[in-house]
Amino acid sequence: MRAEEKYTDPELIAAISAGRDLNNAIRYLYQQYSEATSSFIKHHGGSEQDADDIFQETVMAFIDTVRKDKFRGEASVKTFLNAIARNYWFNEMKKRGRAGQRDKVFELSRDKDEADVSHHISEMERKRQLRGLVDQLGDSCRKVLVLFYYENMSMKEIADHLPYENEQVVRNKKYKCLQQLAGFIKDNPAIARQMQEILK
Amino acid sequence: MTPEETRALVDHLDENITGSSLDSLERLIAEDPEAAQEWYYLNLAVDAVKDHGLYEEISAIREAWKMEETTESVYHVSTPELPAARESGGLVRSLNRYGLRAAAIILIVMSSTTVYKYLSISSASLYDRYYSGYTLNTARGSGSEQPIEQAFNAKDWNTVISLAATAKEKDNQTEFLAGMASLEEKRYDDAITFFEQVIAVNTHAGTDVYQDEAEYYLAISWLADKKVNQAMPILEKIKADPHHQYHDKVAKMSFFDLRLAQYKENK
Repeated sequence: MRAEEKYTDPELIAAISAGRDLNNAIRYLYQQYSEATSSFIKHHGGSEQDADDIFQETVMAFIDTVRKDKFRGEASVKTFLNAIARNYWFNEMKKRGRAGQRDKVFELSRDKDEADVSHHISEMERKRQLRGLVDQLGDSCRKVLVLFYYENMSMKEIADHLPYENEQVVRNKKYKCLQQLAGFIKDNPAIARQMQEILK
Repeated sequence: MTPEETRALVDHLDENITGSSLDSLERLIAEDPEAAQEWYYLNLAVDAVKDHGLYEEISAIREAWKMEETTESVYHVSTPELPAARESGGLVRSLNRYGLRAAAIILIVMSSTTVYKYLSISSASLYDRYYSGYTLNTARGSGSEQPIEQAFNAKDWNTVISLAATAKEKDNQTEFLAGMASLEEKRYDDAITFFEQVIAVNTHAGTDVYQDEAEYYLAISWLADKKVNQAMPILEKIKADPHHQYHDKVAKMSFFDLRLAQYKENK
Protein backbone atom coordinates (compact mmCIF):
# COMPACT_ATOMS: atom_id res chain seq x y z
CA MET A 1 0.00 0.00 0.00
CA ARG A 2 2.94 2.31 0.51
CA ALA A 3 4.35 4.45 -2.24
CA GLU A 4 7.53 2.76 -3.30
CA GLU A 5 8.77 5.67 -5.36
CA LYS A 6 12.03 7.23 -4.25
CA TYR A 7 12.86 10.59 -5.67
CA THR A 8 15.99 12.63 -5.97
CA ASP A 9 15.35 16.35 -5.57
CA PRO A 10 15.35 16.98 -9.35
CA GLU A 11 13.01 14.00 -9.91
CA LEU A 12 10.64 15.24 -7.25
CA ILE A 13 10.58 18.72 -8.73
CA ALA A 14 10.09 17.34 -12.23
CA ALA A 15 7.19 15.16 -11.08
CA ILE A 16 5.44 18.06 -9.35
CA SER A 17 6.07 20.46 -12.24
CA ALA A 18 4.61 18.01 -14.71
CA GLY A 19 1.69 17.12 -12.42
CA ARG A 20 2.81 13.52 -12.74
CA ASP A 21 1.95 11.14 -9.88
CA LEU A 22 1.30 14.03 -7.56
CA ASN A 23 -0.13 11.64 -4.97
CA ASN A 24 3.11 9.71 -4.78
CA ALA A 25 5.20 12.85 -4.68
CA ILE A 26 3.17 14.20 -1.76
CA ARG A 27 3.38 10.88 0.05
CA TYR A 28 7.13 10.92 -0.45
CA LEU A 29 7.34 14.41 1.08
CA TYR A 30 5.42 13.15 4.11
CA GLN A 31 7.53 10.01 4.41
CA GLN A 32 10.82 11.82 4.15
CA TYR A 33 10.34 15.19 5.77
CA SER A 34 7.26 15.42 8.00
CA GLU A 35 8.89 13.79 11.01
CA ALA A 36 11.64 16.40 11.31
CA THR A 37 9.10 19.23 11.09
CA SER A 38 6.82 17.54 13.56
CA SER A 39 9.65 17.05 16.07
CA PHE A 40 10.75 20.64 15.72
CA ILE A 41 7.29 22.09 16.25
CA LYS A 42 6.41 19.81 19.15
CA HIS A 43 9.77 20.56 20.72
CA HIS A 44 9.02 24.28 20.45
CA GLY A 45 5.63 24.51 22.04
CA GLY A 46 3.39 23.21 19.28
CA SER A 47 0.88 20.41 19.43
CA GLU A 48 0.54 17.39 17.16
CA GLN A 49 -2.22 19.26 15.34
CA ASP A 50 0.03 22.31 14.92
CA ALA A 51 2.72 20.08 13.45
CA ASP A 52 0.23 18.53 11.03
CA ASP A 53 -1.13 21.89 9.95
CA ILE A 54 2.27 23.52 9.54
CA PHE A 55 3.66 20.66 7.47
CA GLN A 56 0.59 20.62 5.26
CA GLU A 57 0.93 24.36 4.65
CA THR A 58 4.63 23.79 3.97
CA VAL A 59 3.87 21.14 1.36
CA MET A 60 1.34 23.51 -0.21
CA ALA A 61 3.97 26.26 -0.38
CA PHE A 62 6.54 23.90 -1.86
CA ILE A 63 4.19 22.63 -4.58
CA ASP A 64 3.11 26.16 -5.38
CA THR A 65 6.72 27.33 -5.66
CA VAL A 66 7.66 24.43 -7.90
CA ARG A 67 4.60 24.84 -10.11
CA LYS A 68 5.41 28.50 -10.59
CA ASP A 69 8.92 27.45 -11.55
CA LYS A 70 10.32 29.50 -8.69
CA PHE A 71 12.20 26.70 -6.97
CA ARG A 72 15.75 27.48 -7.99
CA GLY A 73 17.43 24.48 -6.45
CA GLU A 74 19.99 26.63 -4.66
CA ALA A 75 18.95 24.87 -1.48
CA SER A 76 17.87 21.25 -1.19
CA VAL A 77 14.21 20.34 -0.88
CA LYS A 78 14.86 19.44 2.74
CA THR A 79 16.41 22.83 3.52
CA PHE A 80 13.60 24.64 1.75
CA LEU A 81 10.90 22.70 3.62
CA ASN A 82 12.63 23.20 6.96
CA ALA A 83 12.98 26.92 6.38
CA ILE A 84 9.36 27.29 5.39
CA ALA A 85 8.09 25.22 8.31
CA ARG A 86 10.23 27.01 10.88
CA ASN A 87 9.34 30.44 9.61
CA TYR A 88 5.68 29.57 9.36
CA TRP A 89 5.71 28.34 12.95
CA PHE A 90 7.57 31.49 13.95
CA ASN A 91 4.82 33.51 12.28
CA GLU A 92 2.12 31.44 13.96
CA MET A 93 3.63 32.02 17.40
CA LYS A 94 3.77 35.72 16.65
CA LYS A 95 0.06 35.66 15.92
CA ARG A 96 -0.58 33.77 19.13
CA GLY A 97 1.35 36.37 21.09
CA ARG A 98 4.18 34.09 22.15
CA ALA A 99 6.86 36.58 21.17
CA GLY A 100 9.60 35.60 23.63
CA GLN A 101 9.52 31.97 22.66
CA ARG A 102 9.20 33.00 19.05
CA ASP A 103 12.47 34.93 18.98
CA LYS A 104 14.31 32.13 20.75
CA VAL A 105 12.97 29.50 18.35
CA PHE A 106 13.81 31.55 15.37
CA GLU A 107 17.35 32.38 16.33
CA LEU A 108 18.22 28.89 17.56
CA SER A 109 16.83 27.15 14.54
CA ARG A 110 18.00 29.46 11.81
CA ASP A 111 20.11 27.67 9.26
CA LYS A 112 22.95 29.85 8.06
CA ASP A 113 22.33 28.62 4.50
CA GLU A 114 18.67 29.37 4.80
CA ALA A 115 17.24 31.64 2.15
CA ASP A 116 14.84 34.42 3.01
CA VAL A 117 11.44 32.85 2.82
CA SER A 118 9.43 35.74 4.21
CA HIS A 119 7.69 36.30 0.88
CA HIS A 120 6.63 32.63 0.90
CA ILE A 121 5.19 33.07 4.38
CA SER A 122 3.12 36.12 3.44
CA GLU A 123 1.94 34.33 0.31
CA MET A 124 0.94 31.29 2.39
CA GLU A 125 -0.99 33.52 4.74
CA ARG A 126 -2.78 35.20 1.85
CA LYS A 127 -3.66 31.83 0.34
CA ARG A 128 -4.95 30.59 3.65
CA GLN A 129 -7.27 33.60 3.87
CA LEU A 130 -8.51 32.95 0.36
CA ARG A 131 -9.13 29.29 1.14
CA GLY A 132 -11.22 30.45 4.09
CA LEU A 133 -13.39 32.39 1.66
CA VAL A 134 -13.83 29.30 -0.53
CA ASP A 135 -15.01 27.50 2.60
CA GLN A 136 -17.72 30.13 2.99
CA LEU A 137 -19.27 29.09 -0.32
CA GLY A 138 -22.07 26.55 -0.23
CA ASP A 139 -21.12 22.95 -0.81
CA SER A 140 -22.62 22.80 -4.29
CA CYS A 141 -20.73 25.93 -5.38
CA ARG A 142 -17.45 24.71 -3.96
CA LYS A 143 -17.86 21.37 -5.68
CA VAL A 144 -18.63 22.80 -9.11
CA LEU A 145 -15.71 25.23 -8.93
CA VAL A 146 -13.23 22.65 -7.67
CA LEU A 147 -14.29 20.12 -10.30
CA PHE A 148 -13.92 22.67 -13.06
CA TYR A 149 -10.83 24.61 -12.02
CA TYR A 150 -8.88 22.02 -10.02
CA GLU A 151 -9.97 18.67 -11.45
CA ASN A 152 -10.21 20.18 -14.95
CA MET A 153 -13.49 18.44 -15.64
CA SER A 154 -15.56 19.63 -18.57
CA MET A 155 -19.06 21.05 -18.14
CA LYS A 156 -20.43 17.84 -19.58
CA GLU A 157 -18.48 15.67 -17.15
CA ILE A 158 -19.70 17.79 -14.24
CA ALA A 159 -23.28 17.57 -15.50
CA ASP A 160 -22.85 13.80 -15.69
CA HIS A 161 -21.43 13.51 -12.21
CA LEU A 162 -23.46 16.00 -10.23
CA PRO A 163 -27.22 16.27 -10.11
CA TYR A 164 -27.50 18.97 -12.80
CA GLU A 165 -29.74 18.81 -15.80
CA ASN A 166 -27.28 19.73 -18.50
CA GLU A 167 -24.08 21.57 -19.33
CA GLN A 168 -25.79 24.94 -19.51
CA VAL A 169 -27.13 24.58 -15.97
CA VAL A 170 -23.60 23.77 -14.78
CA ARG A 171 -22.16 26.70 -16.75
CA ASN A 172 -24.64 29.12 -15.15
CA LYS A 173 -24.03 27.67 -11.72
CA LYS A 174 -20.28 27.94 -12.11
CA TYR A 175 -20.56 31.54 -13.29
CA LYS A 176 -22.72 32.53 -10.31
CA CYS A 177 -20.45 30.71 -7.87
CA LEU A 178 -17.31 32.35 -9.25
CA GLN A 179 -19.01 35.73 -9.03
CA GLN A 180 -19.99 34.99 -5.46
CA LEU A 181 -16.45 34.07 -4.54
CA ALA A 182 -15.02 37.14 -6.28
CA GLY A 183 -17.56 39.16 -4.26
CA PHE A 184 -16.33 37.60 -1.01
CA ILE A 185 -12.79 38.54 -1.95
CA LYS A 186 -13.77 42.14 -2.78
CA ASP A 187 -15.52 42.41 0.55
CA ASN A 188 -12.56 41.06 2.50
CA PRO A 189 -10.71 44.00 4.06
CA ALA A 190 -7.28 42.34 4.18
CA ILE A 191 -7.43 41.29 0.54
CA ALA A 192 -8.79 44.70 -0.46
CA ARG A 193 -5.79 46.34 1.24
CA GLN A 194 -3.41 44.10 -0.69
CA MET A 195 -5.28 45.05 -3.85
CA GLN A 196 -4.82 48.73 -3.12
CA GLU A 197 -1.11 48.21 -2.59
CA ILE A 198 -0.83 46.38 -5.88
CA LEU A 199 -2.73 49.10 -7.76
CA LYS A 200 -0.61 51.91 -6.27
CA MET B 1 -18.92 46.85 -16.15
CA THR B 2 -21.96 45.36 -17.84
CA PRO B 3 -23.02 41.80 -16.96
CA GLU B 4 -22.07 40.82 -20.53
CA GLU B 5 -18.56 42.19 -20.03
CA THR B 6 -18.20 40.33 -16.74
CA ARG B 7 -19.38 37.13 -18.37
CA ALA B 8 -16.91 37.72 -21.19
CA LEU B 9 -14.12 38.10 -18.61
CA VAL B 10 -15.06 34.73 -17.11
CA ASP B 11 -15.08 33.18 -20.58
CA HIS B 12 -11.64 34.70 -21.15
CA LEU B 13 -10.49 33.25 -17.86
CA ASP B 14 -11.72 29.84 -18.99
CA GLU B 15 -9.88 30.31 -22.30
CA ASN B 16 -13.08 30.22 -24.29
CA ILE B 17 -12.42 33.44 -26.21
CA THR B 18 -10.34 33.72 -29.34
CA GLY B 19 -9.69 36.08 -32.22
CA SER B 20 -10.85 39.68 -32.29
CA SER B 21 -13.06 39.24 -29.22
CA LEU B 22 -9.96 38.30 -27.28
CA ASP B 23 -8.13 41.39 -28.50
CA SER B 24 -10.94 43.71 -27.51
CA LEU B 25 -11.25 42.09 -24.09
CA GLU B 26 -7.56 42.45 -23.43
CA ARG B 27 -7.82 46.07 -24.49
CA LEU B 28 -10.71 46.53 -22.07
CA ILE B 29 -8.66 45.07 -19.23
CA ALA B 30 -5.70 47.26 -20.10
CA GLU B 31 -7.68 50.50 -20.45
CA ASP B 32 -10.58 50.24 -18.04
CA PRO B 33 -9.56 50.21 -14.33
CA GLU B 34 -12.89 48.70 -13.32
CA ALA B 35 -12.41 45.85 -15.79
CA ALA B 36 -8.81 45.42 -14.60
CA GLN B 37 -10.01 45.16 -11.02
CA GLU B 38 -12.75 42.69 -11.91
CA TRP B 39 -10.21 40.62 -13.86
CA TYR B 40 -7.88 40.63 -10.87
CA TYR B 41 -10.58 39.45 -8.47
CA LEU B 42 -11.75 36.73 -10.83
CA ASN B 43 -8.18 35.46 -11.14
CA LEU B 44 -7.81 35.53 -7.37
CA ALA B 45 -11.04 33.55 -7.06
CA VAL B 46 -9.79 30.87 -9.45
CA ASP B 47 -6.43 30.72 -7.66
CA ALA B 48 -8.29 30.29 -4.38
CA VAL B 49 -10.35 27.42 -5.80
CA LYS B 50 -7.25 25.66 -7.16
CA ASP B 51 -5.52 26.13 -3.85
CA HIS B 52 -8.53 24.74 -2.02
CA GLY B 53 -8.52 21.70 -4.32
CA LEU B 54 -4.85 21.05 -3.65
CA TYR B 55 -5.36 21.47 0.08
CA GLU B 56 -8.14 18.90 0.06
CA GLU B 57 -6.03 16.50 -1.95
CA ILE B 58 -3.09 16.83 0.43
CA SER B 59 -5.43 16.36 3.40
CA ALA B 60 -6.71 13.09 1.98
CA ILE B 61 -3.18 11.84 1.28
CA ARG B 62 -2.03 12.92 4.72
CA GLU B 63 -4.84 11.05 6.45
CA ALA B 64 -4.17 7.87 4.50
CA TRP B 65 -0.44 8.16 5.08
CA LYS B 66 -0.88 8.71 8.81
CA MET B 67 -3.10 5.68 9.05
CA GLU B 68 -0.54 3.54 7.26
CA GLU B 69 2.22 4.89 9.49
CA THR B 70 0.22 4.02 12.59
CA THR B 71 -0.41 0.55 11.29
CA GLU B 72 3.23 0.02 10.48
CA SER B 73 4.54 1.28 13.80
CA VAL B 74 2.10 -0.97 15.63
CA TYR B 75 3.38 -3.96 13.70
CA HIS B 76 6.89 -3.12 14.86
CA VAL B 77 6.05 -3.47 18.55
CA SER B 78 8.95 -5.66 19.69
CA THR B 79 7.18 -8.59 21.27
CA PRO B 80 10.37 -10.76 21.09
CA GLU B 81 11.77 -8.70 23.97
CA LEU B 82 9.10 -10.00 26.29
CA PRO B 83 10.65 -13.45 26.89
CA ALA B 84 13.93 -11.78 27.83
CA ALA B 85 12.13 -9.82 30.52
CA ARG B 86 10.70 -13.05 31.88
CA GLU B 87 14.18 -14.44 32.54
CA SER B 88 15.18 -11.50 34.72
CA GLY B 89 12.41 -12.21 37.26
CA GLY B 90 11.01 -9.88 39.96
CA LEU B 91 7.48 -8.65 40.68
CA VAL B 92 7.88 -5.17 39.21
CA ARG B 93 9.42 -6.54 36.06
CA SER B 94 6.68 -9.13 35.88
CA LEU B 95 4.05 -6.43 36.11
CA ASN B 96 5.87 -4.41 33.48
CA ARG B 97 6.15 -7.47 31.32
CA TYR B 98 2.43 -8.26 31.57
CA GLY B 99 1.55 -4.61 31.12
CA LEU B 100 3.68 -4.44 28.00
CA ARG B 101 2.26 -7.67 26.74
CA ALA B 102 -1.30 -6.44 27.26
CA ALA B 103 -0.45 -3.17 25.52
CA ALA B 104 1.15 -5.07 22.66
CA ILE B 105 -1.88 -7.29 22.29
CA ILE B 106 -4.21 -4.29 22.31
CA LEU B 107 -2.04 -2.54 19.74
CA ILE B 108 -1.88 -5.61 17.54
CA VAL B 109 -5.65 -6.03 17.72
CA MET B 110 -6.07 -2.35 16.86
CA SER B 111 -3.60 -2.58 14.02
CA SER B 112 -5.23 -5.69 12.65
CA THR B 113 -8.55 -3.88 12.69
CA THR B 114 -7.02 -0.90 10.92
CA VAL B 115 -5.30 -3.01 8.29
CA TYR B 116 -8.44 -5.04 7.80
CA LYS B 117 -10.45 -1.84 7.45
CA TYR B 118 -8.05 -0.44 4.87
CA LEU B 119 -7.93 -3.64 2.88
CA SER B 120 -11.62 -4.39 3.03
CA ILE B 121 -13.04 -0.94 2.53
CA SER B 122 -14.44 -0.14 -0.88
CA SER B 123 -17.39 1.72 -2.28
CA ALA B 124 -19.11 -1.62 -2.91
CA SER B 125 -18.60 -2.72 0.70
CA LEU B 126 -19.97 0.63 1.84
CA TYR B 127 -22.97 0.11 -0.39
CA ASP B 128 -23.58 -3.26 1.25
CA ARG B 129 -23.29 -1.62 4.65
CA TYR B 130 -25.56 1.34 3.99
CA TYR B 131 -28.15 0.09 1.54
CA SER B 132 -31.60 -0.49 2.87
CA GLY B 133 -34.66 -0.90 0.70
CA TYR B 134 -37.29 1.73 0.18
CA THR B 135 -40.76 1.32 1.62
CA LEU B 136 -43.39 2.98 -0.48
CA ASN B 137 -45.56 5.44 1.39
CA THR B 138 -48.90 4.75 -0.23
CA ALA B 139 -50.41 7.82 1.42
CA ARG B 140 -48.34 9.79 -1.01
CA GLY B 141 -50.67 8.76 -3.87
CA SER B 142 -54.14 10.05 -4.57
CA GLY B 143 -55.99 7.07 -3.11
CA SER B 144 -56.07 3.66 -4.69
CA GLU B 145 -52.79 1.89 -5.41
CA GLN B 146 -51.50 2.23 -8.93
CA PRO B 147 -50.26 -0.93 -10.73
CA ILE B 148 -46.67 0.23 -10.41
CA GLU B 149 -47.15 0.73 -6.66
CA GLN B 150 -48.68 -2.73 -6.36
CA ALA B 151 -45.75 -4.24 -8.22
CA PHE B 152 -43.29 -2.31 -6.07
CA ASN B 153 -44.92 -3.39 -2.82
CA ALA B 154 -44.86 -6.96 -4.13
CA LYS B 155 -41.11 -6.54 -4.85
CA ASP B 156 -41.79 -7.48 -8.44
CA TRP B 157 -38.90 -5.37 -9.69
CA ASN B 158 -39.01 -6.38 -13.36
CA THR B 159 -42.67 -5.46 -13.57
CA VAL B 160 -41.95 -2.08 -11.97
CA ILE B 161 -39.26 -1.42 -14.58
CA SER B 162 -41.50 -2.62 -17.37
CA LEU B 163 -44.46 -0.49 -16.22
CA ALA B 164 -42.22 2.55 -15.95
CA ALA B 165 -40.88 1.97 -19.46
CA THR B 166 -44.37 1.76 -20.96
CA ALA B 167 -46.02 4.47 -18.86
CA LYS B 168 -47.69 7.09 -21.03
CA GLU B 169 -47.12 9.85 -18.54
CA LYS B 170 -43.95 9.59 -16.52
CA ASP B 171 -43.85 11.43 -13.26
CA ASN B 172 -41.24 11.51 -10.54
CA GLN B 173 -42.82 8.66 -8.63
CA THR B 174 -42.65 6.40 -11.69
CA GLU B 175 -39.02 7.36 -12.33
CA PHE B 176 -38.06 6.95 -8.71
CA LEU B 177 -39.70 3.54 -8.32
CA ALA B 178 -38.05 2.41 -11.54
CA GLY B 179 -34.74 3.60 -10.07
CA MET B 180 -35.31 1.63 -6.88
CA ALA B 181 -36.33 -1.46 -8.83
CA SER B 182 -33.18 -1.14 -10.96
CA LEU B 183 -31.09 -0.81 -7.82
CA GLU B 184 -32.69 -3.95 -6.38
CA GLU B 185 -31.93 -5.71 -9.66
CA LYS B 186 -28.30 -4.48 -9.44
CA ARG B 187 -28.71 -2.50 -12.65
CA TYR B 188 -26.83 0.40 -11.16
CA ASP B 189 -26.32 2.48 -14.31
CA ASP B 190 -30.05 2.38 -14.98
CA ALA B 191 -30.80 3.31 -11.37
CA ILE B 192 -28.46 6.29 -11.64
CA THR B 193 -30.19 7.45 -14.81
CA PHE B 194 -33.64 7.22 -13.20
CA PHE B 195 -32.63 9.08 -10.04
CA GLU B 196 -30.84 11.77 -12.01
CA GLN B 197 -33.96 12.16 -14.10
CA VAL B 198 -36.05 12.81 -10.96
CA ILE B 199 -33.56 15.46 -9.81
CA ALA B 200 -33.40 17.03 -13.26
CA VAL B 201 -37.18 17.29 -13.49
CA ASN B 202 -37.31 18.97 -10.09
CA THR B 203 -34.52 21.35 -11.01
CA HIS B 204 -36.29 22.28 -14.21
CA ALA B 205 -39.76 22.61 -12.70
CA GLY B 206 -38.73 24.09 -9.35
CA THR B 207 -40.38 21.20 -7.48
CA ASP B 208 -39.06 18.73 -4.92
CA VAL B 209 -41.16 15.63 -5.58
CA TYR B 210 -39.11 12.58 -4.48
CA GLN B 211 -36.09 14.92 -4.44
CA ASP B 212 -34.62 13.80 -1.11
CA GLU B 213 -35.25 10.15 -1.90
CA ALA B 214 -33.66 10.46 -5.34
CA GLU B 215 -30.59 12.25 -3.97
CA TYR B 216 -29.97 9.69 -1.27
CA TYR B 217 -30.47 6.65 -3.48
CA LEU B 218 -28.44 8.28 -6.26
CA ALA B 219 -25.50 8.44 -3.85
CA ILE B 220 -26.12 4.83 -2.82
CA SER B 221 -26.23 3.82 -6.50
CA TRP B 222 -22.88 5.52 -7.14
CA LEU B 223 -21.43 3.54 -4.23
CA ALA B 224 -22.88 0.36 -5.68
CA ASP B 225 -21.34 1.30 -9.02
CA LYS B 226 -17.95 1.63 -7.27
CA LYS B 227 -17.78 5.37 -7.89
CA VAL B 228 -17.40 6.89 -4.47
CA ASN B 229 -16.11 10.14 -6.00
CA GLN B 230 -19.58 10.73 -7.39
CA ALA B 231 -21.34 9.67 -4.20
CA MET B 232 -19.35 11.90 -1.86
CA PRO B 233 -20.62 15.35 -2.89
CA ILE B 234 -24.21 14.18 -2.62
CA LEU B 235 -23.65 12.59 0.78
CA GLU B 236 -21.81 15.68 2.01
CA LYS B 237 -24.70 17.84 0.83
CA ILE B 238 -27.23 15.67 2.66
CA LYS B 239 -25.10 15.64 5.79
CA ALA B 240 -24.89 19.43 5.73
CA ASP B 241 -28.65 19.82 5.44
CA PRO B 242 -30.41 19.02 8.74
CA HIS B 243 -33.79 19.31 7.01
CA HIS B 244 -32.98 16.65 4.44
CA GLN B 245 -35.16 13.59 4.87
CA TYR B 246 -32.08 11.33 4.89
CA HIS B 247 -29.88 13.60 6.98
CA ASP B 248 -29.92 11.40 10.08
CA LYS B 249 -29.15 8.31 8.06
CA VAL B 250 -26.20 9.96 6.31
CA ALA B 251 -24.96 11.58 9.52
CA LYS B 252 -24.51 8.09 10.94
CA MET B 253 -22.31 7.00 8.05
CA SER B 254 -18.58 6.82 8.59
CA PHE B 255 -17.15 9.59 6.45
CA PHE B 256 -13.71 8.37 7.42
CA ASP B 257 -14.50 5.06 5.70
CA LEU B 258 -16.01 6.87 2.74
CA ARG B 259 -12.91 9.04 2.34
CA LEU B 260 -10.72 5.99 2.70
CA ALA B 261 -12.65 4.31 -0.10
CA GLN B 262 -12.35 7.52 -2.10
CA TYR B 263 -8.62 7.58 -1.53
CA LYS B 264 -8.29 3.95 -2.64
CA GLU B 265 -10.40 4.66 -5.68
CA ASN B 266 -8.20 7.60 -6.66
CA LYS B 267 -4.90 5.78 -6.16
